[in-house]
Amino acid sequence: MRIYKCYFCSSNIYPGHGMVFIRNDSKIFRFCRSKCNKLFKAKKNPRKLKWTKASRAARGKEMVNDPVLDFEKRRNEPVRYNRFTMIKTIQAMKRIDEIKVARQKRFWNKRMEKAKEHKINNIQRELEKHVDLITDETVKGHILEKLEEKREKQIDKNNKMRKKVDPEEEEEEQEIVEYVPYKRRKSNSKKKQSTEAQ
Amino acid sequence: MTEGAERIHFENSNEIGCFARLTNTYCICASGGSENFFSFIEERLGHHIPVIHGSISETRLVGNLTAGNKNGILVPMETTDDELQVLRDSLPDSVRVKRVEERLSALGNTIACNDYFALIHPELDKETEEMIVDVLGVEAFRTTIGSNALVGSYCTFNNKGGMVHPMVSTGELDELSSLLQIPLCTGTVNRGSDVIGGGLVVNDWAAFCGNDTTTTELTVIDAIFKIKDSMTEENEFSSDMKGALIDTFS
Repeated sequence: MRIYKCYFCSSNIYPGHGMVFIRNDSKIFRFCRSKCNKLFKAKKNPRKLKWTKASRAARGKEMVNDPVLDFEKRRNEPVRYNRFTMIKTIQAMKRIDEIKVARQKRFWNKRMEKAKEHKINNIQRELEKHVDLITDETVKGHILEKLEEKREKQIDKNNKMRKKVDPEEEEEEQEIVEYVPYKRRKSNSKKKQSTEAQ
Repeated sequence: MTEGAERIHFENSNEIGCFARLTNTYCICASGGSENFFSFIEERLGHHIPVIHGSISETRLVGNLTAGNKNGILVPMETTDDELQVLRDSLPDSVRVKRVEERLSALGNTIACNDYFALIHPELDKETEEMIVDVLGVEAFRTTIGSNALVGSYCTFNNKGGMVHPMVSTGELDELSSLLQIPLCTGTVNRGSDVIGGGLVVNDWAAFCGNDTTTTELTVIDAIFKIKDSMTEENEFSSDMKGALIDTFS
């Protein structure tokens, strides 16, 4: 008895569930439920629906490219039955599952950290944009203060940029003044050398 | 072991090639309602090679659906995990068992092989061809046999000779023979049936054919596959035996 994966959403198909479609080039498509079958018949692309495993993986929401995932696979070359290796394998399966769960959790946490920052920024921006609508004085004052800080920072930054830019411009001007055609420069340098030698 | 090819049937069917896969290192038989077929073959070969029961995707067509020689056996993708495991556990370790992803899943009909070469259907996948070369340890040639693409059904080989169906021209026969470097002849089994792969299973020292096979056909089979010779001339321990026999008689 084998637990297959749904062609459309990659979920498990247990015995007695779902249906199988065999195309006339003898390719086998297995579906976990009528929902997946119908969407397949409607020629939907599983990567373009948000809830399928394929699209989640494509958008970096699932842990892929992890060696833990390579254990669960359909293998075409069997290994001879051996009681000892069988026992070892079954013991290993439990441990591998633990590791897999832990890694998935770590992956999820990492993803959520990024999402948290994003969320906080969004709220902040919203508050600053609509300060005038806030009735609570303390909150309003707080945000206004922050806004002021931001503005000052921006001004500082601009000033710095200006200062940085100015000397460069001067230098460029100097260079332009100093610029002389190649030939003449060569002769000049020769003259200089000769004078130095003297 | 008896001399020459023998007639048997599988549950009243003459197409025994569909229900058995015979090579020099193993024989896989279908498990049927009656065990006559299996026990007959086991009696003849059981001392020398493992004779086992097998099924492919829950059907009995082991001969049609598998291709193999002494080095390995290829089974189609439809084979279930249990069946694959059964084959692995009952065949010797030197035989590689592998499942092949192939559109033309009747591998027995599309591949005809002995231990050194394989004739394969022209439309087989490139990956499958590589697998044949790798697992069976043979050279693979894409051919048709007299405009018939199902090479596995229309011809049979062992390492000493081969038989092809009667619609092959002499020129083509010579060409094939020089390509494979074994003697070939045209012939029929089961009273004029040209599906030789279906009616005949053969390895280097034994041959079985369907019940309807005539004596003339049997003679041709014995001659081209050198079944009788293997007992009298080429076989090492048969020559030993001969010496022993002469000793006792003298």
